[in-house]
Amino acid sequence: MSWFSKFAFPWQLKKAGVLNMNKRNYTIIAHHNKRNLYPLVDDKVKTKQLANDIGIQTPRLIGSISAQYEVKNFLNLVQGYQNFVIKPAHGSGGKGVLVIKKYTQNHFRTASERVLRYREVYQHISNILSGLYSLGGRYDTAVFEEMVDFSTEFKNFSYQGVPDVRIIVFEGYPALAMMRLATKESAGRANLHQGAVGVGIDIQTGKAIAAVQHNQPISFHPDTGADLMTLAVPFWREHLTMAAKGYEMTGLGYLGADIVLDKERGPMVLELNARPGLAIQIANQCGLATILDNIEHTYPKNLSVDERIDYILNKTNKTNEK
Amino acid sequence: MLKKFLSVRFWLTVGLICSVLFAGWSIYYKVKDWDFNLTPNQTTPVWAIESHLTFKPTNKPIQITLYRPDGSRIYKILDESVVAKNYTVREEKDKFILTADPQKKDQSIYYRVSVYDNKESRGKIKDTQVPTIKAPDFDDTLLPIAQQILTLSEEQSGDSVQKLIRLINQPMPDETVITFMPERQDIRATAHVLTKLLALKQIPARVIRGITLEEGKKTSVPDVMLEAYDMQGKRWLTYDLQTGAIGIPENFIVLQRGGKSLVDVAGGVDSAMKYSVLKSVNSSFGMAKYRAKSARQENLFTYSIYNLPISQQNALKWLTIFPLAILIVVVLRNVVGLKTMGTFTPMLIALALVQTGLISGLIGFGLIVGIGLAIRTGLSKLNLLLVPRISAVVIFVILIIQVCAVLGYVYDWRVATSVLFFPIIIMAWIIERASIIWEEEGFKNAAKEVINSVIVAVITYFIVVNPTIRHIMFVFNELNVVILFIVMLLGTYTGYRLTELKRFAPLVKKTDTNGRK
Repeated sequence: MSWFSKFAFPWQLKKAGVLNMNKRNYTIIAHHNKRNLYPLVDDKVKTKQLANDIGIQTPRLIGSISAQYEVKNFLNLVQGYQNFVIKPAHGSGGKGVLVIKKYTQNHFRTASERVLRYREVYQHISNILSGLYSLGGRYDTAVFEEMVDFSTEFKNFSYQGVPDVRIIVFEGYPALAMMRLATKESAGRANLHQGAVGVGIDIQTGKAIAAVQHNQPISFHPDTGADLMTLAVPFWREHLTMAAKGYEMTGLGYLGADIVLDKERGPMVLELNARPGLAIQIANQCGLATILDNIEHTYPKNLSVDERIDYILNKTNKTNEK
Repeated sequence: MLKKFLSVRFWLTVGLICSVLFAGWSIYYKVKDWDFNLTPNQTTPVWAIESHLTFKPTNKPIQITLYRPDGSRIYKILDESVVAKNYTVREEKDKFILTADPQKKDQSIYYRVSVYDNKESRGKIKDTQVPTIKAPDFDDTLLPIAQQILTLSEEQSGDSVQKLIRLINQPMPDETVITFMPERQDIRATAHVLTKLLALKQIPARVIRGITLEEGKKTSVPDVMLEAYDMQGKRWLTYDLQTGAIGIPENFIVLQRGGKSLVDVAGGVDSAMKYSVLKSVNSSFGMAKYRAKSARQENLFTYSIYNLPISQQNALKWLTIFPLAILIVVVLRNVVGLKTMGTFTPMLIALALVQTGLISGLIGFGLIVGIGLAIRTGLSKLNLLLVPRISAVVIFVILIIQVCAVLGYVYDWRVATSVLFFPIIIMAWIIERASIIWEEEGFKNAAKEVINSVIVAVITYFIVVNPTIRHIMFVFNELNVVILFIVMLLGTYTGYRLTELKRFAPLVKKTDTNGRK
């Protein structure tokens, strides 16, 4: 019985408004995200340029390497920077991201306190170019950008790694938000399926409403012991605005914006995702389907970004919660 | 409403229904006319009957009438030929007429026919037209005896015909019977008299000639049975002349109904007929061509895959099972929600398992992946570029396969030889991917993904390995179209996956479950 009670009936999920993978792919993504817009978010260099053009802040680009023979010169590229991040331009899910906090000619200290040799970093860049981390294994470009100087705001809430806010934006309206916190188990990564903590964030207030790890509700961070319910994201309106602008920027009806908070520069878009996952529902303990349905059918159309955010923040009856 | 009619799902459903109807229709005709079976390895016996006619010519023009079996009814004729030198052969519906100028030497003519049993139509010869009865030519002395015999026969059991047959076959026959009937051994004459007696009772009857098919049989006289018309059923019933049993025995082939003899020779004397019978067993499937021909569907057959050379058919036997395997993968991924390595990797592993056998295949798979992963771990220390590295893994896989095959052969471990059947490129990618997941997300996640793929492969294997299913998918290849539409319809399935029922279970509010109790 206990094994059986781990399962929900389909109609229960439907009543709870849970969006499932097939419906996300078939009804939401296929109808709201045009295929030709994907390259805008799949290529991080392109995303960065588009974002900067429209006035969205991103981590600054140092440079990029797209040919194997250039790899040996990567130290010249990052000359003058104290730290840097290497990413595959077409990567997904944080794969192939290498954060170098400190380095000398031959020793590179990563964010998770590993020390790598020059050979290993060289190898990593080379792997990126060969397409190891890119979608479909195509040849890729290695992107070098400045390391985000993380706000100390969330210091106690994350074990190493980068706490970031994921906001799902539908038809320009922020729909659901969560914060992803790295744990010891997730090895500094923010991927929920690797054991990171997901904290559901109230879309109006920016405050924590629920938290999960491994699909199970929790209240305290497993490593730091911080009370997750006290989590509140500062500059929340800026977060929302930034995510909502992603709609104007890319034209994608359904997108996920990953936002980090820099000590000096404030919220910055790390990347946009045309196929954001569904775990955010578990972190919020709330289904997405009902919310998307409301946005599509009852929210006003053709508003500017600020008007949309005002609409969201001033909504009194939260139709998405009973 | 209109929206519903224009939706993709609607049209795909229409397509599915059409394809099911088409497949149903097509399968019906394949079974009926081509005799395709739902189970593999069905066989049909084929009988080759050779009639050898010899006679002495009499210096006159020769005309021979050879009665040929009426192939459209009880059995089908595969092939027939007349071997007759110097003769002109004319083919008619129920006979061959051979003519020749006067000859001097003894003549020898062969007629060969291959037939196979058409079981469904056995003993069900309908004839709505009531045959006319020829009045029997009994003279004044014989007529009372004949009538007496008919009266005597009433004491026997069975219908009128059976009563008569049983009366004359009594171990100690009545005196009247002995005087009236010809010699017991002369079964042909007996049959002839029986038709006359039956005519007296207003029952149309006729003698049928044929051959009881027995392996390697040689005979100079055809076998005889009696056929009487059943007024109620409007059909001919066949009777055994000794027991009175109704129905054509399993191995009896009718060559001629009514008529006097199987062969008429004009312009010759001392004619003798010899029959020899040979039985051969053909697979029912191989007979389809002939059946199609007799069902006037030759063109349909010519443009079907069953007309291809056997080697190509064998290749297609593999291909036609693929759609089913694909369907299983689609269901397991999109409806059940299992995550696998690569979309069709599990399917390819499953097809390899079919060739290796399940247990030895799984061990072989484990061997390759295990050894491959160990080597791949070593390779990653060398910091090779991606393409050369995966190429090296491919070569290592080939080397592992060679070593396993040799060891397996020398030490007679059949398990090790099974590695030969796995697709090397697929194996190399499994190793590469597993090793990357291992590095990035830990051993647990890597093992999980490999095991998931194997589970899907094993499920697919159990369906694909079934000889009946494979046979059906090949023989009724229109099912491929049905599967196509099912797969496309599944492409519009937006419901929850089975795994999501667990994944999202925490989202169902606790109050909700309490309220149910």
